[in-house]
Amino acid sequence: MGKSSKDKRDLYYRKAKEQGWRARSAFKLLQLNERFDLFSDIERVVDLCAAPGSWSQVLSRELFQKQDKKNAKIVSVDLQPMVPIEGVTTIQADITHPKTLQEILNVFGGEPADFVCSDGAPDVTGLHDLDEYIQAQLILAALQLTTCILKPGGKFVAKVFRGRDIDLLYAQLSYLFEQVICAKPRSSRGTSLEAFIVCLGYKPRAGWQPKLELNKSTEEFFRGSGIGKAENMQYLELPEDERLIAKFIACGDINDVDSDATYTLDTLDKIQSLNPVQLPTAPPYKRALELKRLGQANSKRV
Amino acid sequence: MPSNALSSVKEQSLQKLSHYGPVTSLKIFKSSLILAGYGPILKVYSVDKASNTTKLIFQKQVFGRNKIHSIAVSDEGKILVCGGRSFAVLKVDEEHCKLQVGSERAINEWIVSCAFLNETTALILNSHNTVYKIDVSQWDTEDQHFSLLEEVHCNEKSILYSGSIRILGNGDVYVAAGTVMNGVIIWNYHTKQILHNLTDHEGSIFGVKIDRNGKYVVSCSDDRSIKLYDLETAQLLATGWGHGSRIWNLDFFLQMDADVKIMSAGEDCTLRFWQYNQQESSLDQLELIENAHLGKHIWSSDIDDETLGLCVSGGADGKIRVHDLQNRGTLLSYSLVEISKQTGLTFQKNEIIKQYCELEVQTLFLTSHGQFFAMKANDSSFVKVTIPETLSKEFNNFGIMHGFKQSNSAIVCTRTGALLKIAFADEQEPSFEWIIESSSPNKVTNFLSYKGETSTYMFTDCPNPQIPFTFHILDHRLKIQKTLTLAQPERTFTSTFMHIDETNNWLFLGSRHATIAIYDLNSNSNANISLQVSAVFRKMCPGDTITSISFIEGNHNEATLLVTVRDGIYMYVKFSRVEDQEEFKFTILQENKLSKGFLEGAMIKDGSLIVYGFKSSHFYIWNETKQVEITNELCGGAHRKWELITYDEEADIDYKFIYINKSSLFFKTFKGRFTDANYGIINEGTHGREIRDIAISPVAYDDGNRLLLTASEDTTVRLSSVDTNGIITTYWCMNNHVSGMQKIAFINEEYAGSTAANEEFIIWKLSKLQASKVPVITEFARLPPSSDIPDLRIMDFTTIESTEGDIIVAAVYSDSSIKLWYLNTNTAQFVPLVEDRYTTCCILNVNFIKVKGQVLLVTGTTDGNVTIWDALECFLSTTDNTVTKLGPMLVKQQLHQSGVKALAIQYNDNDIHIFTGGDDNALVVSKLILSSNEVILEPISFVESAASSTITSISLVSTNKIFVTSVDQIIRLWTFNGEDLECDAATYTTVSDTGCSDAFSGTTNGTSLLFVGGAGLSVWK
Repeated sequence: MGKSSKDKRDLYYRKAKEQGWRARSAFKLLQLNERFDLFSDIERVVDLCAAPGSWSQVLSRELFQKQDKKNAKIVSVDLQPMVPIEGVTTIQADITHPKTLQEILNVFGGEPADFVCSDGAPDVTGLHDLDEYIQAQLILAALQLTTCILKPGGKFVAKVFRGRDIDLLYAQLSYLFEQVICAKPRSSRGTSLEAFIVCLGYKPRAGWQPKLELNKSTEEFFRGSGIGKAENMQYLELPEDERLIAKFIACGDINDVDSDATYTLDTLDKIQSLNPVQLPTAPPYKRALELKRLGQANSKRV
Repeated sequence: MPSNALSSVKEQSLQKLSHYGPVTSLKIFKSSLILAGYGPILKVYSVDKASNTTKLIFQKQVFGRNKIHSIAVSDEGKILVCGGRSFAVLKVDEEHCKLQVGSERAINEWIVSCAFLNETTALILNSHNTVYKIDVSQWDTEDQHFSLLEEVHCNEKSILYSGSIRILGNGDVYVAAGTVMNGVIIWNYHTKQILHNLTDHEGSIFGVKIDRNGKYVVSCSDDRSIKLYDLETAQLLATGWGHGSRIWNLDFFLQMDADVKIMSAGEDCTLRFWQYNQQESSLDQLELIENAHLGKHIWSSDIDDETLGLCVSGGADGKIRVHDLQNRGTLLSYSLVEISKQTGLTFQKNEIIKQYCELEVQTLFLTSHGQFFAMKANDSSFVKVTIPETLSKEFNNFGIMHGFKQSNSAIVCTRTGALLKIAFADEQEPSFEWIIESSSPNKVTNFLSYKGETSTYMFTDCPNPQIPFTFHILDHRLKIQKTLTLAQPERTFTSTFMHIDETNNWLFLGSRHATIAIYDLNSNSNANISLQVSAVFRKMCPGDTITSISFIEGNHNEATLLVTVRDGIYMYVKFSRVEDQEEFKFTILQENKLSKGFLEGAMIKDGSLIVYGFKSSHFYIWNETKQVEITNELCGGAHRKWELITYDEEADIDYKFIYINKSSLFFKTFKGRFTDANYGIINEGTHGREIRDIAISPVAYDDGNRLLLTASEDTTVRLSSVDTNGIITTYWCMNNHVSGMQKIAFINEEYAGSTAANEEFIIWKLSKLQASKVPVITEFARLPPSSDIPDLRIMDFTTIESTEGDIIVAAVYSDSSIKLWYLNTNTAQFVPLVEDRYTTCCILNVNFIKVKGQVLLVTGTTDGNVTIWDALECFLSTTDNTVTKLGPMLVKQQLHQSGVKALAIQYNDNDIHIFTGGDDNALVVSKLILSSNEVILEPISFVESAASSTITSISLVSTNKIFVTSVDQIIRLWTFNGEDLECDAATYTTVSDTGCSDAFSGTTNGTSLLFVGGAGLSVWK
């Protein structure tokens, strides 16, 4: 697949390049905002797992250019390095580390955040249960930082995969937010399990003080929070999990581009293929590919 | 917010009959049992070392939802299984043939690995690098009170992808933790101290093990390398490169006294064995087993090189296979110098071995200079075959030799078509006899033979098309009974293979350009007139040289033959003719193309289709029915003289492959240790990638079995049968599609269709062999793509039969196109009828509704709409050749917020109900109201949260009863009572990426079988 064939198959990919977004996922946040009006009344924003930075780009354009909020603060956190975005403080750090929380608070001048979002997803292995577990851990990691920094009434948006245990997460989030919605933007492919939880109206748990600590697992962090997470039973019996189904809302205009459809390029002016805004980072298996190319990988057969 | 009460409803009313899916863990137990975590099911196989057979002795679903990802065993034979958050203790009571199973227990974290510290204490490593020490002494009591004694950690709670616990003989316990981001952490369980943090890998660590002596650590990661460390010093000893993608499993060999050896397996479906040579920084790859599983991913493996001499692997394809580590056949090689020394023959500088054939007690060889020698079977020594010089010079630079084991003779053909018989007798010099003396000055290019039941046949070819072929019929002592001349077919005909059908006395000649000629040997007995060819079928399929023809089944006036074409195609072709008529016709019953280089031949052995040929530098033998490689040999490639000899079951060997490489002679013999034990497949599987669609044949066979078609992300279509117990037997794995598949469906008993990306749309024809009753399938028609670079996905299709017995086909596309064709079942041509378009969004579903003289077309789309068109006009205009538009759009109704993923139509006496399921978790029943002047689609029942995730398919089970799958891995049966939808039953399925279903109700006993496909395949009752 060359650049142009991907362009054709995926109109959002092409539009992202045209509009200068670092990834097509920018449209997902834009469409979520269209439906839930996420960007009104926010000044302090945290974008977690932000690289390559398309959501930060959206937030930056929205708050600084559109709304002209001079006091707005946007902090983007990722383990990977990120090319700077105007008006955005980028922090290369682990979101589970207490120091990261402190750094964000420093940017905010000690004030809580109005909005926390995360578009993070792990590399998938193909073992669906493991992949869903790792994704859930990522959301819980984002959520633990969120509970430490989000103002009461604040909003939290994160990518989820609607797999077998998604109803556990819905149940847990419903203890922490007034409203929990499963939203599917039209720019997210119908064939993908991807969706976004839109959590509105943060309500801190009474009597529970969230505290990020080094070497504390997410399970330990939420221990005592009373959000319906199963804990170890007395004799390690299999616990009954709390499960809930969140309301589903499709968002984005029905006439928007359909991410599952194939479009004909002829209808789109005869445009040259565009280079991506941001090139992908080197994969861990780069050396394996190099060795293979050089024919030095061991391929002896007996 | 509604609670999810719909995840468990009357679960006992749904009974799982069979399941095929990812093998998530494997453990060899005390060199006598193989324990397999088959998703949530524990399967126990016994291994009989003497007979090399394995047998399933127990299977039991031990977890409700979680899959078994790790298995540990205690000295006294207790088994600890873990997966997800669940664990259970079990015991195999071999004496009483019982599997004692403790209840499912759980901790609050994902479990990475487990071990028994002692008989009453289990250690469970969780994904935050903490070991739970659990008292399991009460496992077989009524209460099964387990108690968490201690949470042991090293103060570094990185999230783990992998890990293992090693308990050494001296009581030391080490934890090897493979983190997502921070390399490998080795820590001491007793002291809670971190010993090493090994950070040489890039990316997440997917496997890490410590050997049983506690000397080495081996790990693998996202960087596709294997790294071996010294446990004590943490020194990186060596790295192994070679896997083409991620590695999921690693294990040390048990015997490590002499050499450090490692087994690895992973995403690329290879198993590799490595050896560490001191002072070398690279691990040496000793052996590579390719295509150990289909598609992607070997998820699990274990090894016992010590006692059983085997390893076992489990794939995403659901197969469990044992691989022999001991008896891998023999390879003998002899240089010409060596042969010269033994035989006393002098070979010229440019003299090479040209021909060979295996006889009763020796193998006979002919050189390019006309010298003969033999290798004795008993001691593999070479002896000279003394041949009078007058005879020898006839074979200088030319000679084609065929061996006939029964008469212990060989026939050698000269350049002019003379045939010399060389007959061997016990302990005597061979005798030489010209059975045909050359009379013609014409050169011979090929000499073919065939040994039938009643006679032996020989054939010589001549390049001059005017000169007839010569054909001899001999008795089994190779005495000529009759000689015929055969007029050559018109146009060039280079014969490549001969087969005789003795039932009908037909001669089949294979040629280039996939051409077969037939001579009817009955038709002319006059020796003076050449026999004319009865039929020539040119370009029967794509490809070139016919490399083999053999018998499948036959009858008076018909013969079904197995034909191979060098380019990789094999076919079952039925040749027939009507009594007293001359005209032959042929029908391809089965045709498939292998992507395995050159296909040189095929045979049926024990009900399996075995094919062989060359792929790059290797010769391979492949079991096409079982989809496993039998053996391969690195011989240098196809361009050499070679011979494959097949032996029957009683022989010491299965195959002998003789070949020449760099002028040396090689003999590779192969005896599969597990050939008679289903080729080492101890559990059958399914596709190697996600199953995208399932179709059950509309009609059952007499025995109640039905045909099952499955289409997968791996681009293959599998044709299987399913019995009333849900057991699936696969016959064919078709490679015609090359793109990710979308839909497959039966059109009627005889035809089926399948669609895929890149505008692939194939109509299949199904039939059955007469004798063996094996179902066969072949591509009947293929839709020509609409552009040179087809990039559209054909999302769904539907058909309706015309009054003439032809088929009207509608297909819907990812670019919103809707097209209709008239498919002529005689010509297999698609005649376009309609080209229309919905909007620009992707169409997901299409169906015809034919009722009360009306024909409607119904679509479901990504925008949540169900749309209905009048399609009657399109049918009336099938005769003229114009392409029209659909009739008026009668209904466009939004039923779902986003994609209509599933759509099923039910005809009742007076009503038509449309059931739809969406990406929005909702299930809707709509009533189609047809009146003379309008069509109305009225939603009459609606369940907003009918699942906690996307509904992916709806299958009609019986009147008002539907079977629904969704990505939340809950399968549900719903009944529509005329007003409301009620969930009759709901239960969890271990098939993840749950994407398709089919169902049928038995006609006799009323039970329904339900099929669920995704990452695996399950059958429920």
